[in-house]
Amino acid sequence: MPMRLPSLLRRTPFRLTLLFLALFAAAASAILGYVYVASAAEARAKAETDVRSELKTLTGIYKERGFNALNRALIDRSLAGGSFVYLLMDPEGNRITGSLSISPIEELQGAEQWVTFPFTDTDAEGRITRPQVRGVQVRLGGGDMLFVGQSMGDTEAYLARLTQALWAAMGIVLLLGLAGGLLVSRNLERSMGRLNKVVTAVQDGDLKARAPVRNSGDELDELGQGLNTMLDRLEGSMASIRHAGDAIAHDLRSPLTRMRAKLEVALIDAEAGKIDGTEALELALSEADDLLKTFNTVLAIARLQAAAGSGRTPDPALFDAADLAADMAELYEPASEDKGLEFSAEIERGLMIEANQPFLAQALANIIDNAIKYTPVGGAVMLRARRRSSGEIEFSVTDTGPGVPEGDRERVIQRFVRLDNSRTEAGSGLGLSLVGAVMEAHGGRIILDEGPGEYGGFGPGLRVALVLPAAG
Amino acid sequence: MRILVVEDDAEAATAMVRGLSEAGHDTTHAVDGAFGLLEAQKGGYDVYVVDRMMPRLDGIGMVETLRKDGDQTPVLFLSALGEVDDRVAGLKAGADDYLVKPYAFSELIARVEALSRRRETGSVATMLKVGDLEMNLIARTVHRAGQEIDLQPREFQLLEFLMRHAGQSVTRTMLLEKVWEYHFDPQTNVIDVHISRLRAKIDKGFDKAMLQTVRGAGYRLEA
Repeated sequence: MPMRLPSLLRRTPFRLTLLFLALFAAAASAILGYVYVASAAEARAKAETDVRSELKTLTGIYKERGFNALNRALIDRSLAGGSFVYLLMDPEGNRITGSLSISPIEELQGAEQWVTFPFTDTDAEGRITRPQVRGVQVRLGGGDMLFVGQSMGDTEAYLARLTQALWAAMGIVLLLGLAGGLLVSRNLERSMGRLNKVVTAVQDGDLKARAPVRNSGDELDELGQGLNTMLDRLEGSMASIRHAGDAIAHDLRSPLTRMRAKLEVALIDAEAGKIDGTEALELALSEADDLLKTFNTVLAIARLQAAAGSGRTPDPALFDAADLAADMAELYEPASEDKGLEFSAEIERGLMIEANQPFLAQALANIIDNAIKYTPVGGAVMLRARRRSSGEIEFSVTDTGPGVPEGDRERVIQRFVRLDNSRTEAGSGLGLSLVGAVMEAHGGRIILDEGPGEYGGFGPGLRVALVLPAAG
Repeated sequence: MRILVVEDDAEAATAMVRGLSEAGHDTTHAVDGAFGLLEAQKGGYDVYVVDRMMPRLDGIGMVETLRKDGDQTPVLFLSALGEVDDRVAGLKAGADDYLVKPYAFSELIARVEALSRRRETGSVATMLKVGDLEMNLIARTVHRAGQEIDLQPREFQLLEFLMRHAGQSVTRTMLLEKVWEYHFDPQTNVIDVHISRLRAKIDKGFDKAMLQTVRGAGYRLEA
């Protein structure tokens, strides 16, 4: 794979590598500087201690044995070699003896004076060296002056080697770092390339494209898995939308056909003078309204099913289901009693749920309305809201109507299914389907059961329960 | 009453302008949100009827701008979208009421008239009076011709709404939305039953029936 530097420089891992290398170089320089300063100070301190002790010995000789003894001692020491340099001077600063030809201090200030200066020397192999010498000059009792110094040359060489080693180490680190950075960025680029390929494929309309997952548990693998889950969801909701579209088209055909037939009959009746034009138009209007209502319900079911597919309740709100149940009871009781049904409600307090309130209200309205519609005069309708022992919230409506045979209970929740004995009642056949869709979108369920049983010409009745997860 | 209709669908707008004019209102039409905003800024309108989705400036943007300018004229939003979040978004933007297309014409007129009335009675009243019917909002008592009428809490709320909109048609949907505060289709005529119970309490034994049924629309409380 050819690598152009400019494009490589744009890659995040490589840029990070460079950044870290720069940081390392800065840190190494700082350490080097610190070691240098600290070593230099130590070398100087060591030289001073040595010089002081040598000076003490020499001044001791001078004090005890006199000028000549010192002179001799200096000559001996110079000849013996060693790391010290000496210079004995008369009171005017003229050289008497020693390894230096002239003092680095032109004029001595005070009793003693320290100085550091470069000393030209030759080493064992005859090469000229210029080590730094740290020394001190003092005035002796007789007015003569003595200079004693020691080369810090060893320290210098040590520091030079140290610096060299550090630079070499830095070079190796730079090389390894660069190579590592290249490797990491190439690897990452390959992994990212796989993900990018999926994104591009999806952009081009291939919703089936998926990222390869190695289950290595690293971040890129997680990203790939996340991408795949997202695509699964997306594909799922696309499919459910497509399905909903087909279903709507299918569902609306029969009510439209029915409306057309009714309008045709109205037209014939109007032509025959059985009804007047206004009446025919009013009929057409009410048919159109019914159709719109059906359409809205079908649309609502489709949206709820799409919501259920994505696992999210549309516009959820936190509220007390007991309040909703009480309001529904209050709203429907008069209509129920007007029909000659006994209406009762049994509502537990404090049933917090998180749900779409209008949809849930619609679901309850549909089952209460069904109960009232199908229960013959003299019967009873009861609304209950309670917390199940499982913690779930349950609404139930029980009536003493004819009920639904066990074999048909699954079927009545499907769209447009109306049992034969209910065909005389008004209704689209979508009521329970909508209730089912509302439950689906809330992660709940609808349960159809037998009512209180048969007695006195009533029953067996129907019990419709809506079970929803409680909030929290 | 002066009404500004902001609607980009020419056919719907023509029908609306005609219907509102026939109901006795001085109606002006603007073809989109930007024109609507210019027209509204001229002032003098009692109600704006604004379509939610329009080219250039949509209904939400228009109403938000008006509200920012301090224009508190009531707004009725019209929308083909009927989902709850759409209604909430509309009301949040500053609309006062929301009507989903397609709607019955009687529903539109009833809501427009209710909105304009709401502005007139913005002040806090403690007594409502329609003909010989009196409602004390503090004591929560109702008298007709001096005779006390005993009402359930919901019946009281229902009557209060009708009295605040006395002389106007109110629809069943409006009653469910404004009195019960629910947005759903009750399937059967549950509201009618509540109305007839209320009617039995306030009209029974009196010569004049105040709570009247308006055919094809809803109900009206007449003095």
